[in-house]
Amino acid sequence: MKEANLLVRRIKNGTVIDHIDGGKGLHVLHALDIDGKDGNVIMIALNVLSQKFEKKDIIKVENKFLKEDDTNKLAVIVPKATVNIIKNFNVVEKRCLSLPDQIIRIFSCGNPNCITNSNENIETVMNVVDKKMLQCKYCKRILDVNKLTCI
Amino acid sequence: MVNRFFERNLTSVRDLTRADFELLFNVTDKIISHHATYDVCRGKTLGCIFFEPSTRTRLSFESAMLHLGGNTIEISSILSSTQKGESLGDTIKIISLYSDILVLRHPLDGSSKFAAEMSTKPIINGGSGTEEHPTQTIQDLYTMKKEMKKIDGLKIAIVGDLKYGRTVYSLLYGLSNYDVTIYLISPESLKIRTDSIYEIKKKLQILESTRLDDHLDDLDVIYVTRIQKERFQDKEEYFKVKGSYTIDKNVVKKMKRKSIILHPLPRLDEIPHNVDRSIHAKYFKQAEYGKYTRAALLGLIINNGFVNDISS
Repeated sequence: MKEANLLVRRIKNGTVIDHIDGGKGLHVLHALDIDGKDGNVIMIALNVLSQKFEKKDIIKVENKFLKEDDTNKLAVIVPKATVNIIKNFNVVEKRCLSLPDQIIRIFSCGNPNCITNSNENIETVMNVVDKKMLQCKYCKRILDVNKLTCI
Repeated sequence: MVNRFFERNLTSVRDLTRADFELLFNVTDKIISHHATYDVCRGKTLGCIFFEPSTRTRLSFESAMLHLGGNTIEISSILSSTQKGESLGDTIKIISLYSDILVLRHPLDGSSKFAAEMSTKPIINGGSGTEEHPTQTIQDLYTMKKEMKKIDGLKIAIVGDLKYGRTVYSLLYGLSNYDVTIYLISPESLKIRTDSIYEIKKKLQILESTRLDDHLDDLDVIYVTRIQKERFQDKEEYFKVKGSYTIDKNVVKKMKRKSIILHPLPRLDEIPHNVDRSIHAKYFKQAEYGKYTRAALLGLIINNGFVNDISS
């Protein structure tokens, strides 16, 4: 594809996260702690028309090779996403997402009576049961990932 | 014998295996049969932190600690710095400096798990929100074993408020270690929260019903629970289900000859006082066992040698 046709330009080195469900791109940034404070260029495209999905989001992070532990979080948040590691404009790794054991800080517990929803200084920790179900480490409730809200 | 409880927290029944229960039951048997107090906790202090009302749990823990030669200190939300806005985390950190072991009752689910992370000393969950009440389950199962001579094979009905009753969830997790049949009897609006028994649903044989009468002649244990008025957001909803199940003399007449009635107490109108003299009524015995099962737990957590001391 010609550079002029690309919504966001190619990156020389870094990580490309593609096929993010439309509208979840910002959640992904939050989950991966990508805030631009390290000075790297971050390109985000939201609601891009896609052949596979109606709409998708794309994130490109220049000069940063995301660790596998980080990208595995996406297996729960955006399971259809793909992660490519780019070096010198070439895809050197198509990373398979595998389920992490835990997801820390990203989701609020859906149980309003859970200690994590109080004023205590406490991070949410979700144990991953499967792709659709998480378990709050504290109140032990089983939670449907699609019904959870991001912090 | 290995003491698996030494210096461990007890925040959830999920952490207990069948072998753990059996060890607790054996030690409890010894404590009761020796008719003696012990010195295994001499010089040790139990910190009781109760942010919700309690009679049996608090006093049985205190009594158990005294039985083992230890001391207790107590803090309640009314008299503590939480009234000034101090967090639970800070409160736990402070009390753990003054105690060797802590028992916490708190209205929020997951509070004891959090407290265990904040504390430098072992934490026992004395009731956390609508989540769990592990030490109640130890005494419930001990009572079943003692009064029915077994747990495997029992047909057990849990009746009443299955949605908000924390003892229910701990009991189900405890029973998942045994081969039992469970009847969950409740009004439609107070059915069990399936998201809280997800891990054990397949392990347990469960039958759900709104009618207790249909099963009375089949049951070995009727575990009655109070409708938890204080946990209803809408008080009208409470009055709709209040008094749904009353284990009165007419019900008792239909029970199997050797079946028993248990209740974690306090009771309201679900068991009339004239049932107390029935041979089936074991809820006061159950409350009494609470002191000894808690003594077994405290002794095992505090003193590694307790398991051997008590066997000799």
